[in-house]
Amino acid sequence: MASSISHYLNRFKACLKIDQTIKDDVVQELHTHLEDKIQELEESGLSKEEASKIAVQSVGSPELIAQQIYETHAQGSWKEALFSALPHFLVALLFTSYYWQNVVYLSIILALIVGIAIYGWHRGKPIWLFPWLGYYLMPVVVAGILLLSLPQGWGWIAALMYIPLALFVFIHIMRQTARRDWLYASLMLAPVLVTLTWFSSLGTGNELLANDWIARLQTNALWIVISFIALAGATIAFIRVRPRRYKIISLLIPPLVILFSVATASRGNIAPWGWLILLFSLFAFATPVWLQARAYQ
Amino acid sequence: MNYGRELLKGNTDSLLLSMISRQPTYGYQIVKELGKRSNGYFQFKEGTLYPALHRLERENLIIGKWQILPNGQQRRYYYITEKGQQVLVRRLATWQDFSAAVKAVLQAETTT
Repeated sequence: MASSISHYLNRFKACLKIDQTIKDDVVQELHTHLEDKIQELEESGLSKEEASKIAVQSVGSPELIAQQIYETHAQGSWKEALFSALPHFLVALLFTSYYWQNVVYLSIILALIVGIAIYGWHRGKPIWLFPWLGYYLMPVVVAGILLLSLPQGWGWIAALMYIPLALFVFIHIMRQTARRDWLYASLMLAPVLVTLTWFSSLGTGNELLANDWIARLQTNALWIVISFIALAGATIAFIRVRPRRYKIISLLIPPLVILFSVATASRGNIAPWGWLILLFSLFAFATPVWLQARAYQ
Repeated sequence: MNYGRELLKGNTDSLLLSMISRQPTYGYQIVKELGKRSNGYFQFKEGTLYPALHRLERENLIIGKWQILPNGQQRRYYYITEKGQQVLVRRLATWQDFSAAVKAVLQAETTT
């Protein structure tokens, strides 16, 4: 009896990608339901095996119930959607003027992002957390890349020392996020993708950053703003839509807008380093979505 | 799709609110009561009840609370909220109007 119930509940749990506390509640509720049903069937004279078999059949497909429960809980409120998109709007705001060059504005926004990300992480990882977490990861990634630009081989030495630490932080956060839902990993990595894609357009020849990178960044400010607003729009759509396939589709919007923006702004003139960074970030972002799309099929 | 099943789907929320408004209850008891009160008319996969209950809870129409029974078993009892009561009253009124209108039309159809 126990094995057929646990087999059923394991199938159910494997399909259910929602907040762990809600998940525990639903699983416990379904477990109690099955126990009640089995007890009643046994009292009517059935054996344990027969009773548990009928009970499991009467409850229905675990995959279907998990999908329906997911759709009930997967839709965030408008408040959650707007709060999730807020860091993207803040970054877009930085580029609407020269604010991004102002250390005070940058520090305030960075402190705000770090504070909110840490708060959300320790408050049960609500759905709005993940875009904030993406920006939280950004300094880790960007610092590693910038180390490569140190002179005369020092860059490689510093980067090799830094990479294990950065990877540890990155993998830990990715694992925790993916445990909740792989799609949230992509949602989290979306700002990293946008930033690295723009970063990739700032190099020249073998240089990671061209001499005129600040001027380039300012020239492309409008496209950068468009990229982050597109990301904000996609995030709102992701939080608000219920079916999983629509969430996957909404995640595919940012890379398309950003690649188009970067290609237009740089006229296809991206340095080899830039291509490498671009491909890496696209790969990191797209892998969770691709895994989910395959699982969905 | 089966017409009866479609009707049930469209009225699930009202049926659940009505059951829960009588007394706080839990999933398995709701299934049993629905079967008993409808003389076995409502047939559905029992697990599909829980997404509906969770949806109502997210809309703040009901609230679920865990209770520990004397035998140590835990059950999640659902209580109707004030908002839920108001929604139920409105739905009942709408249903009665709709039902009376359908009945009047169908009766006229059979007498002509």
